[in-house]
Amino acid sequence: MGMLFSYFRSLIGAREMRILILGLDGAGKTTILYRLQVGEVVTTIPTIGFNVEQVTYKNLKFQVWDLGGQTSIRPYWRCYYSNTDAIIYVVDSADKERMGISKDELFHMLREEELADAVLVVLANKQDIPGCLSLKEVHQALGLEALKNRTFQIFKTSATKGEGLDMAMEWLSNTLKTRK
Amino acid sequence: MTDSKYFTTTKKGEIFELKSELNNDKKEKKKEAVKKVIASMTVGKDVSALFPDVVNCMQTDNLELKKLVYLYLMNYAKSQPDMAIMAVNTFVKDCEDPNPLIRALAVRTMGCIRVDKITEYLCEPLRKCLKDEDPYVRKTAAVCVAKLYDISSGLVEDQGFLDQLKELLSDSNPMVVANAVAALSEINESSPTGQPLVELNASTINKLLTALNECTEWGQVFILDSLSNYNPKDDREAQSICERITPRLAHANAAVVLSAVKVLMKMMEILAADTEFCAGLSKKLAPPLVTLLSSEPEVQYVALRNINLIVQKKPDILKHEMKVFFVKYNDPIYVKLEKLDIMIRLASQANIAQVLSELKEYATEVDVDFVRKAVRAIGRCAIKVEPSAERCVSTLLDLIQTKVNYVVQEAIVVIKDIFRKYPNKYESIISTLCENLDTLDEPEARASMVWIIGEYAERIDNADELLDSFLEGFADENAQVQLQLLTAVVKLFLKRPAHTQALVQHVLSLATQDSDNPDLRDRGFIYWRLLSTDPAAAKEVVLADKPLISEETDLLEPTLLDELICHISSLASVYHKPPTAFVEGRSAGIRKTLPAAKPGVEETVREATVIPSQESLIGDLLSMDIGSTIPQVPVAQPANNVDLLGGDLDILLTGPGPDLSGGVQPSTTGLLGDIFMSTAPVKFNPPKTCWLPADKGKGLELFGTFSRRAGQMAMELTITNKAMQAMNGFAIQFNKNSFGISPAQPMNVGNVPPGQSLEYRLLLNTSGPVQRMDPLNTLQVAMKNNVDVFYYACQIPMQILFTEDGTLDKRVFLTTWRDIPSANEVQYTLNDIKGTADMISSKMTQSNIFTIAKRNVEGQDMLYQSLKLTNNIWVLLELKLTPGATTATLSLKSRSVEVAPFVFQSYDSILKA
Repeated sequence: MGMLFSYFRSLIGAREMRILILGLDGAGKTTILYRLQVGEVVTTIPTIGFNVEQVTYKNLKFQVWDLGGQTSIRPYWRCYYSNTDAIIYVVDSADKERMGISKDELFHMLREEELADAVLVVLANKQDIPGCLSLKEVHQALGLEALKNRTFQIFKTSATKGEGLDMAMEWLSNTLKTRK
Repeated sequence: MTDSKYFTTTKKGEIFELKSELNNDKKEKKKEAVKKVIASMTVGKDVSALFPDVVNCMQTDNLELKKLVYLYLMNYAKSQPDMAIMAVNTFVKDCEDPNPLIRALAVRTMGCIRVDKITEYLCEPLRKCLKDEDPYVRKTAAVCVAKLYDISSGLVEDQGFLDQLKELLSDSNPMVVANAVAALSEINESSPTGQPLVELNASTINKLLTALNECTEWGQVFILDSLSNYNPKDDREAQSICERITPRLAHANAAVVLSAVKVLMKMMEILAADTEFCAGLSKKLAPPLVTLLSSEPEVQYVALRNINLIVQKKPDILKHEMKVFFVKYNDPIYVKLEKLDIMIRLASQANIAQVLSELKEYATEVDVDFVRKAVRAIGRCAIKVEPSAERCVSTLLDLIQTKVNYVVQEAIVVIKDIFRKYPNKYESIISTLCENLDTLDEPEARASMVWIIGEYAERIDNADELLDSFLEGFADENAQVQLQLLTAVVKLFLKRPAHTQALVQHVLSLATQDSDNPDLRDRGFIYWRLLSTDPAAAKEVVLADKPLISEETDLLEPTLLDELICHISSLASVYHKPPTAFVEGRSAGIRKTLPAAKPGVEETVREATVIPSQESLIGDLLSMDIGSTIPQVPVAQPANNVDLLGGDLDILLTGPGPDLSGGVQPSTTGLLGDIFMSTAPVKFNPPKTCWLPADKGKGLELFGTFSRRAGQMAMELTITNKAMQAMNGFAIQFNKNSFGISPAQPMNVGNVPPGQSLEYRLLLNTSGPVQRMDPLNTLQVAMKNNVDVFYYACQIPMQILFTEDGTLDKRVFLTTWRDIPSANEVQYTLNDIKGTADMISSKMTQSNIFTIAKRNVEGQDMLYQSLKLTNNIWVLLELKLTPGATTATLSLKSRSVEVAPFVFQSYDSILKA
């Protein structure tokens, strides 16, 4: 019954899903956003502020917010939390030094009440860079095993090469569909 | 969750509703919500709490919504400076939008957001927009640079935006050029150093002139304004600029016309006035100015204020246009008054009949202010146009017959001026004036009448009675009238001492004992002292011939006029005040000046003696009430000063003079003592220095310096014999030097025994051979005695070459100052300044540096000084003193500017003495 209902909903044009792409500066958020939207690698500059784009994936419409990752901007992430369906948290797998900071930001964010129901996708990005942390290592470094009561999945990606994103979106859209 | 949640009350209420609407998915709803927000903002509700939500609506392809959000941002970015950073990325993206309207909108909004934290992020987009392919974007970006300069001038300079702006001056689109010009002049004006950051050169001027014909009215005004700041390098360039902007005079927009007039006025200053070209230009200027007077009254007023300046600078331009300045019955009063002013300025023998009959008409109007000014104007015509004086006086008499109170009073005030201008000519009317004595109730009229009575006391039989009647209410009179009464009674006493002794004693005691006005008291004391010491001297002082008043009245000071001419078509020209006087925080003291005119034009500068205003009337001492522009009298020798007053005071205190109340005496003497102590410093001479040490002089040691006493230069020598034998047979010879200094007498030194020293003063003159030395003030001396010939060189302190006749007349000073090209101006900073301007000035006078005039400009004292060297080189100086500061700025102008460093040395040493 639930399946049928969501099927109709997608036909009459369901509500746009609201997705936030977060992560430290230089993790590759903007690149991922435009890879998802136009399927190409665009040259980006550090995002001072935000980008918002509509992404359609398999008949699902997403309103994707890419927020800047600079230290000065992170405090304002919370302005965007309400009504969020999913968070794509991007980690630079090659940036070993800041893995800790990334972890802190992630857990700090997940504590927010408004995000209690949001699905979490962690992208271990920049897998194409030699010597980067593996999926497992990223999982461990972020302390994801501590997550309870949260629908989440981690993927390894390379936004510039376009690898892993499809899988992540596939999982995300399925998860969101079934949740409705 | 912390307890802070209890303080966030956004869960309901209007703000909360708007918040949720702003976050609505539907674009239409969103737009409606933003509109509501803007509406609340406009009526003054604080909707800054919605900042993040509104900013989130910023990235949209809906232009209307975007504009609304931008509007919100301009208003609230300042109150949310941290959060404003979230908008940056959108600006960056919008500046690359395919739609030029959006690009321009973004760059314009960026310029309006004055938040330091985000300005640096906005430089890149701005740089791109300055090079945008669309002219609309480029012109908007140009203005944005000026705005950015206001927020952070350093950033603009570091990022090279000034150069980019300069490149825009050669843009293919005239509007871009106009905006770039506007931005550049804005930046130049607010430059912190006061120096323009970007100078225009001949080729950019050419581009501006090309763009001028094609751009909008505002653009034309911008371009013309910046053209007026440009100094062409030669006559030909000036002429070509004039030719190319002359067509602007026919423009329908008054601002364009006035701006064009401004440029032409400035260029005419550069071009020789007697050329045909200039004459042609003058002719062309009149019709557009006349046309401006047919527009609405407000524009007329602005035009008239500007014309008032133009007429003062170049009376010839409008001399045939008198009729257009005749007052119309339906002109507003402000236009009427201004027209009247210009009429008087244009009045000449050729048109005086017409003017007078007009003025007579005006004097019968109903508006009191206007009538007063009309009556005053008749008086001014009488003073200005001599042949018409008689007619003016009879017109005034007619008006007095009307017995209209304010007309009579005004007439009496101007008749006083006419008496001053034409002494012993119209005194027959005094009796008519006296008939109206009782109706006078205004201080100025009463003061004028009292002055007339005092001045012509010998012809008015009952002068003593008249003055006595005034004295009854002495205490209730205005200070101005009191002063006049005092003076008039003293005059009366000096002219008819027989029966007026009681009267004069009465008035003196009123002034000195019953009044608490210090001016009145001081004047009273001075008269008292004069009368009790030496009545003959008193007569000479009080009844001295007064300098004649002449010509124009109410003229602006020439330097101010020149500055205002540079500001034609701006608020300054309407206020008749320099912009610095009413615009705060702008252009730290830079003032525009007209370019130095060509020599030969100076003769046309008219000399003007100005009838003083009320304030100076009161301030003036010694009954020279009316001539505030007495040519500067050089300060008398200090020794005399002290003697004179010392003696005077003694007599006053010990002698049998009028009894002064004990309480007053000490204070006055103390006061006077103070004043004269400080004005009697000893003339400064530099200390002696060693010119020839004993080991070089074979035992002869010379210390020396130069001095100047009472016009006589001398070399002061201390000759010491450190040898074992007596020295004699001294002789001295000077090498050729820059100022032709040579000994005025042979050296007359006898025998100097061993171990002894003696002082010798060698008088000098300047009749020796001249040869330029380097440094200029070097003097090579050969000293001979029985032992050997010794050579040494010394430096002549420049101040001994300053002659006693180095004072210039004010007007000569002014014209000379302007005559000397600005290349001959040198600036110098004096350190360790002590004392007031007056103390410094008197110190300078001791060394023959004469203060021509003193002015207080914005809290700074400006001393204008002159000095003359023995070889007739004139040096003009402007000393700017800030009270309380220890440094002062000295500007020097001279035809022979190479003397400057040595004059500066002199200033330093005189001030340190």
